Amino acid sequence: MTTRRTAAWAMAAMLGAIGGCRSEPAGRKAPADRAEALKQSLAVDVSGLKSADTQPLIIMDETPLQPPPRPADPLKLPEDDPLHWYDMEYAGWRGRKVNLPRSPGDGALGKRVICLRHMDHPYTTAYTRGMEKVAGACGIRLKTLTAGNADVNIQSQQVDQVVNERPDLVILFPVDATAVVPMLRKLNQAGVPIIASNLLPVDQGMPYVLTWTGPDDWGQFRMLAREFAKRMNHEGGYCIVRHMPGGSPFFSRTFSVVTELKKIAPRMKCFDMQTTLLEAEKTAQVVSGWITKYGAELKGIVSADDSGAQIGINEACRNAGREDIIRVAAGNSKVGMDFIKAGKLHGITYQSAEADGALPMKIAADWFNGKEDLKPVYYLPKHVITAKDVDQYMPAQW
Amino acid sequence: MTPSAPAPTRAAARPPGRARPFAKAAAAAYRYRVYLLCTIIFAVMGAAAPHFLTPGNFSNVLKGTSTNLPAAVGFTIVLIAGQLDLSVGSAMTMGGILVMGLSPSLGWAGAFGVAVLCGLGLGLTNGLLVAKARINSFIVTLGTMIIVYNAMAIYCRGGTIPATTFALSDFLQRPVVDLDPRGAPPALLWLTLWLTPRNLVSLAVMAAAAVFLRRTPAGRGLHLMGGNPQAAWYSGLHVDRYVIGAFALSGLLAAVGGAVVAAGEAAGSLKLGENSLMTIVAAVIIGGTSMEGGKGTVVGTTVALVALTALINGLSCLGAGHEVQLVASGLVLALIILYDAYWLHRRQRRRGQRKDLLEELQARAASDPPAGRGSQGAPSAPGPGREGRSHG
Amino acid sequence: MSPPPPAARRTRPPAGGRVFGALNVLGVYGLVGGLFALGCAISREFISPDNLMNALRAVTLLGIVAVGLAFVTYSRHYVDLSIPGIMALSGTVAVWALKFGFVPSLAIGLAVGALVGLVNGLVIGYLRLNPIIWTLAMMSLLSGVIRWAYAGRQIYPDKATAAGRAFLELYHHRLLGLLPLPVAVLLAVAAGGYFLMRHTGYGARLKLTGSAYEVARLTGINVRRAVAGAFVISSLTSAAAGVLLTSFNKVGAVYIGGGYDFRTITAVVLGGMTLAGGRGSIVGVLGGVAAIALMNNVMSLVRVGQFVLGDFQQNIVQGAVFILVVGINSFARRRTGGDDA
Repeated sequence: MTTRRTAAWAMAAMLGAIGGCRSEPAGRKAPADRAEALKQSLAVDVSGLKSADTQPLIIMDETPLQPPPRPADPLKLPEDDPLHWYDMEYAGWRGRKVNLPRSPGDGALGKRVICLRHMDHPYTTAYTRGMEKVAGACGIRLKTLTAGNADVNIQSQQVDQVVNERPDLVILFPVDATAVVPMLRKLNQAGVPIIASNLLPVDQGMPYVLTWTGPDDWGQFRMLAREFAKRMNHEGGYCIVRHMPGGSPFFSRTFSVVTELKKIAPRMKCFDMQTTLLEAEKTAQVVSGWITKYGAELKGIVSADDSGAQIGINEACRNAGREDIIRVAAGNSKVGMDFIKAGKLHGITYQSAEADGALPMKIAADWFNGKEDLKPVYYLPKHVITAKDVDQYMPAQW
Repeated sequence: MTPSAPAPTRAAARPPGRARPFAKAAAAAYRYRVYLLCTIIFAVMGAAAPHFLTPGNFSNVLKGTSTNLPAAVGFTIVLIAGQLDLSVGSAMTMGGILVMGLSPSLGWAGAFGVAVLCGLGLGLTNGLLVAKARINSFIVTLGTMIIVYNAMAIYCRGGTIPATTFALSDFLQRPVVDLDPRGAPPALLWLTLWLTPRNLVSLAVMAAAAVFLRRTPAGRGLHLMGGNPQAAWYSGLHVDRYVIGAFALSGLLAAVGGAVVAAGEAAGSLKLGENSLMTIVAAVIIGGTSMEGGKGTVVGTTVALVALTALINGLSCLGAGHEVQLVASGLVLALIILYDAYWLHRRQRRRGQRKDLLEELQARAASDPPAGRGSQGAPSAPGPGREGRSHG
Repeated sequence: MSPPPPAARRTRPPAGGRVFGALNVLGVYGLVGGLFALGCAISREFISPDNLMNALRAVTLLGIVAVGLAFVTYSRHYVDLSIPGIMALSGTVAVWALKFGFVPSLAIGLAVGALVGLVNGLVIGYLRLNPIIWTLAMMSLLSGVIRWAYAGRQIYPDKATAAGRAFLELYHHRLLGLLPLPVAVLLAVAAGGYFLMRHTGYGARLKLTGSAYEVARLTGINVRRAVAGAFVISSLTSAAAGVLLTSFNKVGAVYIGGGYDFRTITAVVLGGMTLAGGRGSIVGVLGGVAAIALMNNVMSLVRVGQFVLGDFQQNIVQGAVFILVVGINSFARRRTGGDDA
């Protein structure tokens, strides 16, 4: 009967599809002798690799970490005091560690690493590309999982799955800096080595990880704020378009600017800060409301995203004939860099997605090779891209 | 209906007396389709995915199920009553954030109490607006979903609320019979690893709801009310109270679910219940609850939720990306509802056809010689034909 | 939901019938007028043409999609939850098809959207599946397919080609140098929708299908085709809005169109169209869209010293107003003797 035949075809198709999506990616098999494996692994040199925008792939910021002393209760301080955000901004700088696993010391060849990403996004696609380049060079088997659409529950389930599978190392890109702390603890108690990546977990979670690598969100937005203030001559009103609620850039890309500007440009006033979920249309609506409401007093806009949100900002400015508004954003996507070239955006932070993905993998390879004295946090270098040097960063990674 | 030229149905065309092969099997397959689906998924994933058929992974699948289970049970109850409750995801978020936010000041018991009460309040509001103000439940719950989510966003200022200690979270996640995973025999691990207080709470909720729906008069009244509100009204049920009660239960259970999840994860996040609504709706429909109301089981919902969670889990074990998981869950839902529609169509076609009478007359016509104009073979098929298939 | 007691029968019009009668006729435009007055009271800048143009621009695409969805709701099939997926798919396919030229790319984008709508319409119209569940499954499938087809990347129109540049300018193009293209599309779609719903046989058939499906079927109307047509119309408008939105965003990506499903049904229902089908008009839907635009605008202009209405607060107000307006609508309808929705 047709029903049975259709059912059989459907079953075959399903099995075929499932078979087709098996992706335990490659990786080289390690030689049986441990010393030989270590020697081969140490011989691998990844410093020459380049990312898609022709910049070097493995880059890191070498400035030493000197955190200020921690106040007794940061949360009691007002929000525009930079020390209120101590546990977020200086997370992990003091370097206390708990129950860290020891390195196996026999090289990176053939080791299994699972990367847990927070969502599907062109940025994370470039991130995984960078990670796979290094993994391929070092002979590491990489499996990448995505936590749905930045879904905390799914990341928690994937962490459970990782505990069950026991890989040699986990690279974790948290969905939420606070909610990830129990997950890190669980992995730590199961003896799985962790390198956290991109999103800095709060300070309470840092003792459980080997180290963390990623962009210095707080630091580079402070750098951006300084550029912003310079262009605004240290006076005038500004508004901030925030990132998505429920994540850490919601705070880091907002309050770093507010606290920095309060210090260096006390005459500048923050009128409003709103989240627009990074949607272009919604941002256009909100910003045009701001322009109507604050009029000529509004002189600058800071944005947490240089693609979707910035399109909305620029649309609103153009419609209102307010091209004089100083605009800066977090970068660096193709749309943002195009805006810089056209003069519609005055500064974006440089954040190489491929370098962001490559660095934890490189640190993991070093750790497998026996290097156990890791820094508490590894930051990517900070830079603000302006019209003067935007061409060095093309073609865009995403 | 005037008899027209006889259109012999499929049943009449077959020689009488021969039972259709596989008929009973097909009917059983339909009735237990959700169990069949679950078995197929476990079999396929177990064969194809590494690490899937391990006690640890099984425990993970059940843990993923128990995340959405209380809210799904509540949704089932409301759907049986013939209404929609789109606010279950936001109610979960509310339960989670309130429990985490209030626990430093009120203690765990107090915080749980307040979270549950707020869930109850939300449910009562929904129920009152639907029953008394007579606003469509889709509209009401869409509005309250938005209101509750944003109220919680204001309460937690867009951030996540961490737990002050890990004690409760550890208690909820540790199995009741705690064996060392590396030392214990696998058979025992299969039985004990998933028996955590968190899973037990969800299972208890499911069991209580199942008993309520099947065995109590109120539960049976709920079925009647969803299936045929007119008949329920005529038989004296206070229809309004049932509606309000169903929504109140749904809000309460969703808040309980969210609170337990947040306590177990030691963090109350705004994204707790964000994607729950779609998963819950899919699971409830796959589990056999009808969108028109009046029919459905909580056990079916649970098994469907296990099946969906196992599907996503298995694909994750394979390393398949998020897109494959989306397509797979969409496909499973689509196939199940197509299967449902097909079965309904077959049943409608046969409705009103008196099969045995037809077969008898066919037999008689076959044995008697044809006698001119009088007998034209089988009388006009009483079946409704193509247009008889009305929307369920 | 409960049937009226059989004995009592009204012998004179219900009290307050005239007030609620007026409310019925005014419908959502009463709300629009009220918001207008509120806006003028709150802020001086409200009445400026710039501000009103901004408010209009924010909801143009929403209006286009809402007109299409109105047909689906009119036919008593609740809502089409696959709208965001159709928008993203049409936009992304249009960008991909730019290599065939500018006009072919638009045609291909619209065709792909219409194809999805056709599948929806066939399944829901002919197989009689529940629209909410089916469109939910379709949304899941579409977003998975888009992510898979582009491997998580977003695709950019190529600025080096004339077709790419034309596509990037599409959203900002002004007809005759004056009328922005999206507004023109909205007006055309609204006029077409109004004509289709009010003055054609199809509209009349759809109305009867939405009000009384069985009666329509027995009268000989091809109800299945009417319902399928409604879904195709909805997907066509979504595809058009998706292409415009992609042009606005300068990139074809999977997140285009997010949030549109619930926002559109809000606009449609606010505009007087009931979920029970068969009642409402395109004029009302446009009023609902205008009401949403004005509500957002008025709330964003609130400025009392340091106090401003943040995003979360605005959403709460919107949700509450939504329930209130629909409640008043259905109450008014019942009071004036109509059925309850």
